Amino acid sequence: MKLAARLGTKRKLGFSIGVPATVLLLLMVGSVSSPHFLTVSNLLNVLTSISIVGIVAVGMAFVTMSGGWADLSVPAVIATGAIILLGTQPTLGTLGAMVVALAACALAGAINGIVIGYIRANPIIVTLGSNIIVLGIAQAFVGGRIVYNSDPLANQLVKGKNLGVPFIVIVFLVLALIAHFILARTVWGRWTIATGGNYAAAAASGVPVRFVRGIAFVLTSVLAGVSGCLLALSLQSVRPVIGTGYDFSSFAALVVGGVSLLGGSGSIPRVLGGLLIVQLMSNIMVLHGFPTTAQGLAEGLVIVFAVALDIKLRKRSGGL
Amino acid sequence: MEQLSRIGVALLRGRLWVILSITLLCGSLLVPGFFSLRTLAFSLDRASTIGIVAVGMTAVLIAGQIDLSSGSLVALCGIVTIGLQPMIGPWLALFLAILTGGLIGLLNGTLTIVFGIDSMIATLATMLGISSVAFLVTGSLPVSGTDPLFGVLLTGDLVGMFTTRAAIFLLLVVLLQIWLTRLPSGRNLFAVGSDIVAARDSGIAATRVLMGTFIFIGLCAGLSGALFSLQVNTGSPVFGVTVLLSSITAVVMGGTTLEGGKGSALGTLGGVITVTALTTASEYASVPAYIQGIIIGTILIVLIVLDRTIGRSLRSATDRGALIQASPEEPIPREKENRNE
Amino acid sequence: MSVSQDDVAAGSSSSVAPLLVMNDISKSFPGVLALSHVNLEIQPGEIHAIVGENGAGKSTLMKILAGVHKPTEGTIQWAGDEVSIGSPHAAQQLGIRMVFQELSLVPDLSVAENISLGRMPRGRLFVDRKRMARLALEALKVIGEELDPNTLIADLTISQRQLVEIARVISSGARLVALDEPTSSLTEFEGKKLLAVIKSLKHSGISVIYISHRLHEVLAIADRVTVMRDGRTIETRSAQGATQAELVQRMVGRDLDDMFPKAIVPIGPVVFRAENLTGEGKFSDITIEVRSGEIVGLAGLIGAGRTEFARAVFGLDRFDSGACFLNSVRIRPKNPAQAIRDGIAYVPEDRRLLGIVPPLSIRENLTLSILRRESRAGVSRAGVIGRRAERAEAARLTKHLSVVPAAIERRIETLSGGNQQKVVLGRWLATGPALLILDEPTRGVDVGAKAEIHRIIGELAAEGIAILMISSELPEIIAASDRVYVLHEGSLVAEFDREGITEENIMTAATGALAS
Repeated sequence: MKLAARLGTKRKLGFSIGVPATVLLLLMVGSVSSPHFLTVSNLLNVLTSISIVGIVAVGMAFVTMSGGWADLSVPAVIATGAIILLGTQPTLGTLGAMVVALAACALAGAINGIVIGYIRANPIIVTLGSNIIVLGIAQAFVGGRIVYNSDPLANQLVKGKNLGVPFIVIVFLVLALIAHFILARTVWGRWTIATGGNYAAAAASGVPVRFVRGIAFVLTSVLAGVSGCLLALSLQSVRPVIGTGYDFSSFAALVVGGVSLLGGSGSIPRVLGGLLIVQLMSNIMVLHGFPTTAQGLAEGLVIVFAVALDIKLRKRSGGL
Repeated sequence: MEQLSRIGVALLRGRLWVILSITLLCGSLLVPGFFSLRTLAFSLDRASTIGIVAVGMTAVLIAGQIDLSSGSLVALCGIVTIGLQPMIGPWLALFLAILTGGLIGLLNGTLTIVFGIDSMIATLATMLGISSVAFLVTGSLPVSGTDPLFGVLLTGDLVGMFTTRAAIFLLLVVLLQIWLTRLPSGRNLFAVGSDIVAARDSGIAATRVLMGTFIFIGLCAGLSGALFSLQVNTGSPVFGVTVLLSSITAVVMGGTTLEGGKGSALGTLGGVITVTALTTASEYASVPAYIQGIIIGTILIVLIVLDRTIGRSLRSATDRGALIQASPEEPIPREKENRNE
Repeated sequence: MSVSQDDVAAGSSSSVAPLLVMNDISKSFPGVLALSHVNLEIQPGEIHAIVGENGAGKSTLMKILAGVHKPTEGTIQWAGDEVSIGSPHAAQQLGIRMVFQELSLVPDLSVAENISLGRMPRGRLFVDRKRMARLALEALKVIGEELDPNTLIADLTISQRQLVEIARVISSGARLVALDEPTSSLTEFEGKKLLAVIKSLKHSGISVIYISHRLHEVLAIADRVTVMRDGRTIETRSAQGATQAELVQRMVGRDLDDMFPKAIVPIGPVVFRAENLTGEGKFSDITIEVRSGEIVGLAGLIGAGRTEFARAVFGLDRFDSGACFLNSVRIRPKNPAQAIRDGIAYVPEDRRLLGIVPPLSIRENLTLSILRRESRAGVSRAGVIGRRAERAEAARLTKHLSVVPAAIERRIETLSGGNQQKVVLGRWLATGPALLILDEPTRGVDVGAKAEIHRIIGELAAEGIAILMISSELPEIIAASDRVYVLHEGSLVAEFDREGITEENIMTAATGALAS
């Protein structure tokens, strides 16, 4: 029992120290190895690329922490948000279009949530299926053509900066802050972590576990929709494949930052840490002109390694 | 109410035939010449891409595991086949592609067996890893090959209108069927998927069997990806997810369960035919690809939901769960050592 | 008070060399001595029953025999030679087979394949189906059962599956078969059939170890009976002429230390009443009352339906008919949250599975059930958790329950089993229940913590809480309870008040021996 306890604390400590230390390490490596690294423009680039993924990752964190593993329908929902926003923008204006888009995303998330939370089907298979379904519906909605942004003001706003900080980054930080507050200080957040920590015990203690699991998927979809909207407004035009790869990136950020895939542990700061690590790594590699094969391989390996490590530590500390 | 649930149970058990009949009926109504030899040959060829993967997936699911990485592996191996052509020649590139599949299978097997990571999670990690490699290697754009004739050689017609690829697929189905029904190691697969602890206690070399299945599906994915890319002379990173989804749907439709210990190669054949028939009929009816996706995705989710709700009553009290948890919180079946003292 | 080798030899039924001799076996795990100087001797072709209450050590002994554990002390002789059973495989090589309640058959393989599992006869490549079917029919013939060898296990009844498992055991050349509670899932008719099958095993020269709580069965079928208690063998005797009462007496006759001094607490009016509660297949027609300040024990063997009953009352499972009343008001608990609101708390049996949330801290575990706005602890407002209020409540509870260490921010995994149990208890106390249901409150807890937990339970009773305590440890029930109900196979078979609470009374009722 003592060994298990020590390992358990070790794991928590490990990630608490390891993640910030790695970030610092990467910052140092970057600044030493490349003159372009510590420039304002480069760092702002890093922040901006973090933000879009980050919004999705923050949502996904709820799913993972509540024990729902991952939401693989994120690419489709991002695309849905983007497509519906631009598709209804001419008739409803940007704000109205956004409301409609987010509502649609919430609906998609609700269906995920019901099938996974209440019928208790396998989250991976279900979200794999809903990914394709939702994407199909979104494309059907716009009849298969490409949609364009019709609001230049919104475009300027989204691509612009306030006080030198890009708009997108501000949105991300605000959302991350809210999510952090929810997880750390509210009943819903506590319930989420408890549900992931021990579903049966939480249920036996009066936690509405099915609702908690289900609503996490709704939240993820809404946040993915937000990302989609931001992408749409800043990119001017949108293709259905726009969401590709975001499931991977947000998943990587979670895992690297120390949010356990088995649920019950993690926090928004950890997600931030994971985002930074993955992005800084990629940034450094790009600055050095590393071949893209190496980048992909490196990121892939990092994920596999991080997951393996996480599970190994959890198993030995008796958490399973 | 009792009557209704009994009908539901019967429908669930015979679901393959139900869905296949409906599909074939709709197909023959919508598409003129649906049952012509030409259409059949064409469909069979198209079925092969998903079909070869589905054959591997059948074995994996029966063993109580899953391989989520097979879809992106198909894409990656296709890229390897085409991308390496200019450098080392088509035959070597093909060989390397299939080898890649086998190696990833080995990786998946190691993560699951040696590291003890649940195969759902382990292959999720490898799926995303491979996917990112595929996208980054190609810069998210398709890669073109340099030797299109080679592709024709391998994927072209073999006998009459039937292609080599279709022949390979059918051969694999037959081989799997024979292995699953007539060879001891194949029969043992059901035992491993049903209760791995009991299987080990009975003297079955479970580890060897499991590792073999992972490598097998890896090779299948490699083969499928290579053949597909050769036929269109393109390596592309995008269609991984569709392949994964369609193959799982086909296998589940054919009666193989996600929980393990149950399944059949012929059932998978039926499932693959159904999925392909759907696709073919949709195309002839000018249904765009994304709508087809909706149909397949919905079928899969409906099947799973039905399995969870009605299928529960089919499983008897003494059946044990399998290594794949049907949903994350169902407890991993305790080993005999943890029983009541 | 244990049996020596001479005693065992004296109880022998024949002068043939024994098949199995387990000699002076002791087994200790960290912190607990599971078996102490146990002696067991099995003759060839003998049906030998082992009886004892839960925790007597029967399972540990069987696990040693099966090669799952190795004895700390003692020797094992098989057919005259001293052996060391190092693994399940080694046990099987000797010819030892176990048949547990959870059968290890493969549902989608046929009867014949299951019988030959792991040893399927083969030609060069393929399975030799004809030979496999023949082997199956031979084994089935031995037990007198007719089944088509090609039927899938999935299509058989539980009784038939059990017979297939036994056929498998025979086909693999078993010389000794141990069966653990084999009739618990069978109908009476199927049970009789199984007993006949076991007799046919004996006629084939196979020895049988029969573990069961059903004493009438044991006496009907066994040649000899060994009684175990507290990790020791108490007696081995011939089953001829033995009575159930005698067996019960041997199973429980122990000196009770005054481990848990019971405080005298004023008992108030009836707080909880369950009337004719029935859960299809699990428990039937249970009527129970618990008064304020009273500790009511719910005794019975494993599988008697006590936990199922408690879960139904708490809303974790559904019940099919009957009613529950809390303070004379009819309640219909649909889920735990509702039950908590009504004023019921349930501390579950398995701490690891249902109790603690491992990654969370002590504080977070303690407040888990009182986070809702309407809970009386006022820990949250408008969905936001009040830090100070939460910490104060957590501190109060850890102090009240003497949780060590009281550092509420530590992860709960770092605590010992006893302290974890206290935290789980604390979570429920925080809800201010009128009825507290405890399910095996001191299981897996060391002796010191046991006493502490009982002290706490006593204090809770003194505060006026009505307590229903499910326990399989007789000393615990006897020491702590004001009244005891006994469940047997889902039915309420006895109620004892203070004077009637004795080990013999309870065990007799629990094993169903009351009827006879």
